Amino acid sequence: MPWKDGYTISDEKSLDDKDIRWPEGKRCAVHIVVNLSMAGGPEGISAKDVRSATALFAAGEGLDLLLAALAKHGLKATFAVPAVMATIDPARIRGLVAAGHEVAAQGLRHEDVTTLPRAEEKARIELATGILADVTGRKPSGWFSLPRQGDPFAGGTISPNTMDLLIEAGFAYMGNGLADDIPHYWVTDFASRRAILTLPYYYHFDDQFFCMFPHAGTGLENSDMLVRNWRAELDAQYKRGRFFTMVLHPQHVGWCNRMGLLEDFLAYMGRLPDLWNPTGAECAGYWARTYPAATHLELEPSIWKDYPGSLS
Amino acid sequence: MSEKLLEEVAGLEAAARAYTARHQRIDNLRWPDGARIAVNFTADFDAMLLRRLNNEPPMQLAKGEFGGRVGIWRLIELFDSHRIKATVFTVGRICELYPKALRAAVKSGHELADHMWEHRVPREPELERDHLLKTRDALERISGRRPVGSRSHHTPTLLRDEGYIYNSHGAADHKPYYVLDDKGAPCLLELPFHFAIDDAMFFSFAWYASANAEQRLSDTDRVLDMWWAGFMQQYRQGGYLNICLHPFVSGRALRIAMLDRLIARMKTLPGVWFATCEEVARHCLEQHPAKPKAA
Repeated sequence: MPWKDGYTISDEKSLDDKDIRWPEGKRCAVHIVVNLSMAGGPEGISAKDVRSATALFAAGEGLDLLLAALAKHGLKATFAVPAVMATIDPARIRGLVAAGHEVAAQGLRHEDVTTLPRAEEKARIELATGILADVTGRKPSGWFSLPRQGDPFAGGTISPNTMDLLIEAGFAYMGNGLADDIPHYWVTDFASRRAILTLPYYYHFDDQFFCMFPHAGTGLENSDMLVRNWRAELDAQYKRGRFFTMVLHPQHVGWCNRMGLLEDFLAYMGRLPDLWNPTGAECAGYWARTYPAATHLELEPSIWKDYPGSLS
Repeated sequence: MSEKLLEEVAGLEAAARAYTARHQRIDNLRWPDGARIAVNFTADFDAMLLRRLNNEPPMQLAKGEFGGRVGIWRLIELFDSHRIKATVFTVGRICELYPKALRAAVKSGHELADHMWEHRVPREPELERDHLLKTRDALERISGRRPVGSRSHHTPTLLRDEGYIYNSHGAADHKPYYVLDDKGAPCLLELPFHFAIDDAMFFSFAWYASANAEQRLSDTDRVLDMWWAGFMQQYRQGGYLNICLHPFVSGRALRIAMLDRLIARMKTLPGVWFATCEEVARHCLEQHPAKPKAA
């Protein structure tokens, strides 16, 4: 049995702060992710989701406000786009690319693929990729499986085959992983060192868990906590010279007073010197060139044993 | 009917009395060198193993993995920077997953203690003992010495018989207290741990598969205020505080920064004894041994 098989996805230790270098001597990377999914739970985007007032706001005024704030502060974002959102409003998605943002894939309808057979999941990845490529004119290089408010866990859902299928489909990176707070390699086969670069995600920096979570109308409104978490993490990671990421939904952070909180935070961020604000693809490209898996992925030999009376 | 109800009441009374009889508080507890408070920083190092045990999905395992790849290293660095010795309650199989981090912890003088073999205590007595000894041997191979403490549901008499002196699991008193066996003989010292001073309660989503409406995600400013107030309450009256951290939770950069502020603030006061759980336990056992039970 290879070392850690079934238990872990990467090497034993992350890169130390002192070993991290960003382009042009920049001090800390900031990756902004905008999630354009309207999915409420594992089933993905439903007809009910798209014919809701919330959906109109998210695709309309909410997105306008968010794009204006990003433009005002000179920031680029990666948009995690379920294919169906691109078919609903292709011009809008093309507009994101024209504004310098990146469009990455997020399933056909941001559905849970946990139990899908491999062939079925492969077909869905191809279909979603094709739809986005037709709309934007280029094949997406990043794939996201972000969590939904109705999911039982806040990490996003994948199947045992997802990462391998993404490598097979030629994706440069997976947009959300929780095993590190910098880009890291998600290993699918230890023997051949087959791996996909994964960008970090953490639910404490994702607006959906602080804005009427878990349900509009009855959920908890903790947007002040969200901003304190952003601020504390940005300060700490800036000091270490690592990586900060946040996930925004137009329907959540775009609404009313929350938008003001975001504006203030972006202004604070703008006052920190030497931040590098890449899109996901730019970040992944830099990382793969500077810290290639071939030389930087340190996989240890197996010392994991099977014992009677223990989980293997 | 009333006879049956009275029987039930008597049954409850007997259960409460029997439970009470198995616990003994320490009166007039004094710390070494006149310290006002003993503080144990404890790290429950299970990384992805509890999530694996509960059959949680891949992203949850990755969330736990952060504790081994990143979090434990940052906690060691934090404690070392403050010259604090901490206790790492280690799931036995972590020795196979993150031996380097554990060796680094030992090298810095931190204590390794038992946190079950795979984060569960088997019901079968033979297997329970097997798990306890496997963990003991795995920890001994890393640290060169047998662990003397546990944070677990392991049977107290089994722990005692295998050379353990303390457990850190219950909260029957703010101060350390004794757990006795059913004959009234001293069994283990209990170093009280409480969920209100546990990082996972404020920062870990879906702890023990809790439902979405039960989530209580918070922020570091708020938790720092609560924990500081907890520390001051015990400091004023002369007491004890056990701060329970998980490397995959508190190892996040924003929380290391919070803990750095908390420790720095604690250090501005005189009479704060930062120790390992073993040091606190040995002090209690030597200076405040359990009293023989009145016949």
